[in-house]
Amino acid sequence: MTTVHTTNFLERKAAILHRKDDNIRRLERQLDLLGMESNVIWPEFDLGASPADVVFYDGDNGYDGIFPWPKGFPPVPLIALISTEAPGRLEWILSQETSAHMVKPIQSSGVYSTLVIAFSNFERRTVLQDQLRALETRVTQRPAVFRALLMIMEQAEVRDDEAFAMLRSAAMNKRQSIENFCTHFDEQTARMLCAKTAPDKKGMQ
Amino acid sequence: MSSNIPVGLLYSTTGTYGVIGHDCLDGALKALEEINADDAYDFSLVPKIENPGGNIDEYQRLTESILQGGRCRQIIGTVTSISRKEIIPIIEKHDVLLWYVAPYEGFECCENVIYTGACPNQHIVPLFGEVIPKFGKQAYLIGTNYVWGWEVNRIARELITACGGDVTGEHYLPFHSTDVERMIDTIRETRPSFVLNNLIGASSYAFFRAYFSAGKTDSFFHPDNCPIVSCNLTECELDKIGYDAARGHLSTAPYFENLETKDNKEFLASLGDRGDPPLPVSVFFVNGYVTAYYLADAIRACGSDDIEMVKAALFDRDFEPPLGPTRISSRTNHAALPSYLGQICSANGFDVLSAKQTTTEADPYLANFNAVQFAADIAAIEQRQSLPHLKVIK
Repeated sequence: MTTVHTTNFLERKAAILHRKDDNIRRLERQLDLLGMESNVIWPEFDLGASPADVVFYDGDNGYDGIFPWPKGFPPVPLIALISTEAPGRLEWILSQETSAHMVKPIQSSGVYSTLVIAFSNFERRTVLQDQLRALETRVTQRPAVFRALLMIMEQAEVRDDEAFAMLRSAAMNKRQSIENFCTHFDEQTARMLCAKTAPDKKGMQ
Repeated sequence: MSSNIPVGLLYSTTGTYGVIGHDCLDGALKALEEINADDAYDFSLVPKIENPGGNIDEYQRLTESILQGGRCRQIIGTVTSISRKEIIPIIEKHDVLLWYVAPYEGFECCENVIYTGACPNQHIVPLFGEVIPKFGKQAYLIGTNYVWGWEVNRIARELITACGGDVTGEHYLPFHSTDVERMIDTIRETRPSFVLNNLIGASSYAFFRAYFSAGKTDSFFHPDNCPIVSCNLTECELDKIGYDAARGHLSTAPYFENLETKDNKEFLASLGDRGDPPLPVSVFFVNGYVTAYYLADAIRACGSDDIEMVKAALFDRDFEPPLGPTRISSRTNHAALPSYLGQICSANGFDVLSAKQTTTEADPYLANFNAVQFAADIAAIEQRQSLPHLKVIK
């Protein structure tokens, strides 16, 4: 048992892009029980007028351009309400980066668990995307790190692992990532760094 | 409207939690007997009783059996969450109503179920609101290995953690298991402030007995030092535990037999003795009883046992049952309930230690619950307490 906090959706807003029928009546009732506000938007999809924390949409009738954001980059969790399981429809739903789905008819059970899963998936995806972006940036800065490493190895006459330790230590002192530190690294910086660390090195030898 | 209206009563009156099923069934049957003899009701409620014997594989078949023929549209039944969850798909398929009278772990709100028992904001939250200031913030959590114990213990952990306390351990036993020695050993080693007991039936009885035995050689196991607290322990199980072992421990419920209210005294007087020797009256009996009355009163008001008409007649009206004034919310399908803290006294049920003056609306998804606020309230109580700490550890 590690889950301590009860997931709570109090005062969160849900937009529902679906015609108002019994499914949606049951969905709205459950959202109300969870302390959420819901807003049915149909047939004109104007999400801009109702900023929401989560969007339920009709997975059976959705089409490209239905959402006011670039395809596959929803700013909030998406939950598809589906009755058709045709592969083409499921492919379209997945292409929207949908975080969870509910099968119609919507029942009184399932709304809470779907919300918990959708928010968790969305958060995990956001974290992963941020990590991916950071890693991509670091990869593009690799040549600068490599250049800096070579300069130190040449000037201080040390092995690669020692040169890397010097770089890492210098970057930490500047409170920068190694990659950022190396982006502005030149012969002069290398000379200063080697001069600073040289007595230590000699001492160690 | 037919003058004979069938009502399914689906309770395990045998098996590991048979005592509880028996009380629920007896309460419902007592109410049906009164209703059928009362001219104010121009119909009779005809019980269709089935006993799954605590066997989870029997619940679906027996529910289908009750509903066969399409005449029965109301079932009062099930005690455990696992059995309720088992029959809900059938209840929904036939579009009938299940009246569920037991306390449960919440996080459910089925449109085909009327919940007249307590959910977490009506049991574990008020229980901990009383127990933590009195005994402390070190809790040992135990339960039977299924959703009731898991979820009530998870909420307990949230409450304890919010208050800056610790869970000293958390252990589960399979249904029917009486292998409680490891739990006793853990308590001996970790010395918690109190034990939250979510064990069911025979496991619970064995734990109380073992705790009592441990107390003969180690005074830490006395209820004044480290009580066992429960959300589902009532008068109907005290005889199974043995009053010697049960005495002094605590439980919360929306009703105790020893409630000193005028309504309760009149109710108990009208009830007379239950058998010879007389059985005690527990919240399971009373809730079975009042739930049958909710149903009968709704049918009388709308003139039908059609479930939509019954629900419309039931919701948001005031009832005055023995457990005090209440109403059932159209928003949640749950009853508003009082919560009492009871302490088991020798051979005479529970002494009511404290009572919330008003009923609490059910909040089945804990949507309005705030653990930080709960902790702040506890801290305020602790600050106000001028009495020395109640614990005496020798």
